[in-house]
Parts: sequence; structure tokens; C-alpha cells
Amino acid sequence: MKLDVGTIRSNMDGFNSIARIGKETQNMNLGSVRWDFSRCSFFEANMAAPLYVVIARLRNELNDVSVYNVSSGIERILKKNNFLTVFNMTSLPDNNQTTLPFKIFKLHAGEQFYDYLESYMNGRGIPRMTDALTKRFRQSLVEIFLNASIHSDSKSGIFACGQFFPQKHRLDFTIADAGIGIRENVRRYTRKRKMSSCAAINWALTEGNTTKTGNHPGGLGLKLIKDFIRINKGKLQIVSRYGYYEFSSRGASVQKMDYDFRGTSVNIEINTQDTSSYCLKSELSSDDIF
Amino acid sequence: MDDRITIKVADLIGSPLCISAEDGQKVFEKVESLLKSGKPLTISFDRVTMLISLFLNVAIGQLYGSFREEEVRSLVQVNGLSGDDMELLKRVVDNAKKYYANPKGYDAAWHGEEDEDEQ
Repeated sequence: MKLDVGTIRSNMDGFNSIARIGKETQNMNLGSVRWDFSRCSFFEANMAAPLYVVIARLRNELNDVSVYNVSSGIERILKKNNFLTVFNMTSLPDNNQTTLPFKIFKLHAGEQFYDYLESYMNGRGIPRMTDALTKRFRQSLVEIFLNASIHSDSKSGIFACGQFFPQKHRLDFTIADAGIGIRENVRRYTRKRKMSSCAAINWALTEGNTTKTGNHPGGLGLKLIKDFIRINKGKLQIVSRYGYYEFSSRGASVQKMDYDFRGTSVNIEINTQDTSSYCLKSELSSDDIF
Repeated sequence: MDDRITIKVADLIGSPLCISAEDGQKVFEKVESLLKSGKPLTISFDRVTMLISLFLNVAIGQLYGSFREEEVRSLVQVNGLSGDDMELLKRVVDNAKKYYANPKGYDAAWHGEEDEDEQ
């Protein structure tokens, strides 16, 4: 089977294209699929993580996946971020240090994920940012990773990669999984079997709401990330099944996609020139906390 | 004589990364057993390099399910946290108080849309 891979950017069209590819190959097993990149004029490297969701599902069904007609420019980008190694192609050194390479993590490898961030955010991979920004960014990514660990039930692990766009002073980092999705988690928890993907994402973003089991509170992680993104003037995208959520300084929106993205992908785009302190209140003492 | 006990979180969980629910549970159980015997304690985050809300929900937020606010306030102190991490802890504690005041409140109030088109 041959399939066109169009241009893939970090926007609704890009996620819809990836979901379409997944839909067209959904019932394949023991087959072979070739992805034609001839109509792909641009591929934002962080989108390798959600694209791998489709690959993981195909490979789980013992399908062969290969790529062809990849332009030299796109091939260079995807070799620099190690993505093409999943097709047994060699990688290229990232001399400009603009990538946080594509990596597959086991579901409960939170500490390894932290080490990965530490390794690529200390003078490698991304630009110099303030300590406060670096800390909030890492905290946000670790929260997202741990959310995926706990909720996704992904059999293939968690996929991550990031890309710095120097001229825009923007850094995109995407964490994706081929798990059950937010909709299924929320449906199970609320017992509302017909809740839509968009409604489920809205539910999950409501402060205090969590599908975690166990007698402890939760539901703060995504709210904290939104607060961070608001101050940073960045962007947050959450894609899960048919739901596409985007939050930026222009506001928040949830839209239904044309195709089913069978997993969850969270993309954070930050403004790397931000100099905010992220310490909003005056000094809190221990006595103020409890 | 100060009989306040200090729990060194990094030592207890064997890591400077306060990120997992399992490690949070370990801290919670230690704090819970000391509070049950009425011992004042300090939770020290010295040497901790990464702290996220998930960990704090389990380690500290969960205390409000076992103890009254006044008990926690009079017996527990924290140190070793930067200003922004103190803010994070404050958010976690405020969220936990709301949660235990009405644990199922959010769910009961939810009237999300349904969509027959999705499988």
C-alpha cells in the first residue's frame, strides 16, 4: 500500500494529516505500507512523535513501514533528529544544535526522560534561556510525560522529540503515545459512554478533574502548564482521538478533527526569549502553605 | 529541646527527582505515621532538583484526606523549596482542601456534550 504524506506542521492540518494516514491503514496486518513524501514540502521535526504513533500501531500488527521520495531538506532534518533511524537509516550530527532528538521511552521511564531533557537542554539542542524558563519548561514536560505514564496504557511506550526554530525564537516539544486516549479515560471515569473527544479534553483541563485512581487529589498539571504558557506567550496543543485543543495568547479552542488520532499528543511551544520570573507571589513561608 | 523530626525527601526516596506517584506515596506514608502519633515534623526538600504537582498531590495533598487542616498546619513545616516551588505547593494544598471538601463535586457537576458520531 502506498500513501501520500502531505506537509506536516504543528497545527490542526498537520495532526489531521497524521490521523488520516492512521485511518487509511487502521485495519492492516502483516502488510506493507510505503509512505510517499513527494508532496511533503515541510515537516516540522517535533511532529515525528505523533507520526510515530501511527508507525507503532502498524508495527504492532507486524506491518512493514517504509518511506520514499523524501526531499534532501526534509531528510536532513529527520536524520538530524534521529527519526529516520526508525527506518534503519543513518542519523546526521546536529551541528547547529537545534534538535532534541526523537526518542522512544518505556512507559514508566520518568527519570530517564528527565535525564534526556537534562542532557539536551544544557548547552545542547536548545538555546540559552533564563533559569526560571528552563525550570518551568522542564517541569511542564515531566508533568506531561508522567500523565502519559499513568493514563495512556500505551503498549508501545511514549515518544518524544523537540525542535528549536532559531529565527522565530520558538521551541516546540511534543510528547505522544499510542494509548487509549483522553476520551476513553474520561468516559471510564465519568461513566458517560458517549462523551466526545472534545468534551473529554475540556473535562481533563478543568482544574481539579482527574481520572487518576486512588484516594488523592490531582488535576493540576495541565492547569499549571496553561498558566505557564499564558505568561510565556507560547502555545499548547492537545490532540487525542477526534479532539484538537489549542491554547495560546489568542485564546483557547477545541475542534473536532476529520480523522481519529488513535492516541494522545501534547505539544508545547515556548517563546525562548521570555525573561519572566515565574515567581508570582511575594515570598511564601511554610506557615502560609498549610 | 526541639523534638521536631526532619524528613529528608531526597534521602528517603533515593533520588533528587520528586516526580513519581510511587515516591510521593513513600513520603506520604512516612509523614502520615508520624502525624498519627502527634509528632511535629519538617519535610525537607534540600537537594531536590525537580518537583512536579503529581508528586506533591500524593506526598502532601493526600494528608488532607487523613488529617484536619489545623492538625497539618500545627505539625507540618517544609523547607528547602524555592519561591516558585513554594507557590506550586500552595496550589497543591489549596486544590487538596477543595478536593477533600467535596471529592466527587466536579464529576457530579459535569454536563459535557455528547457526540453520536464518534465510535
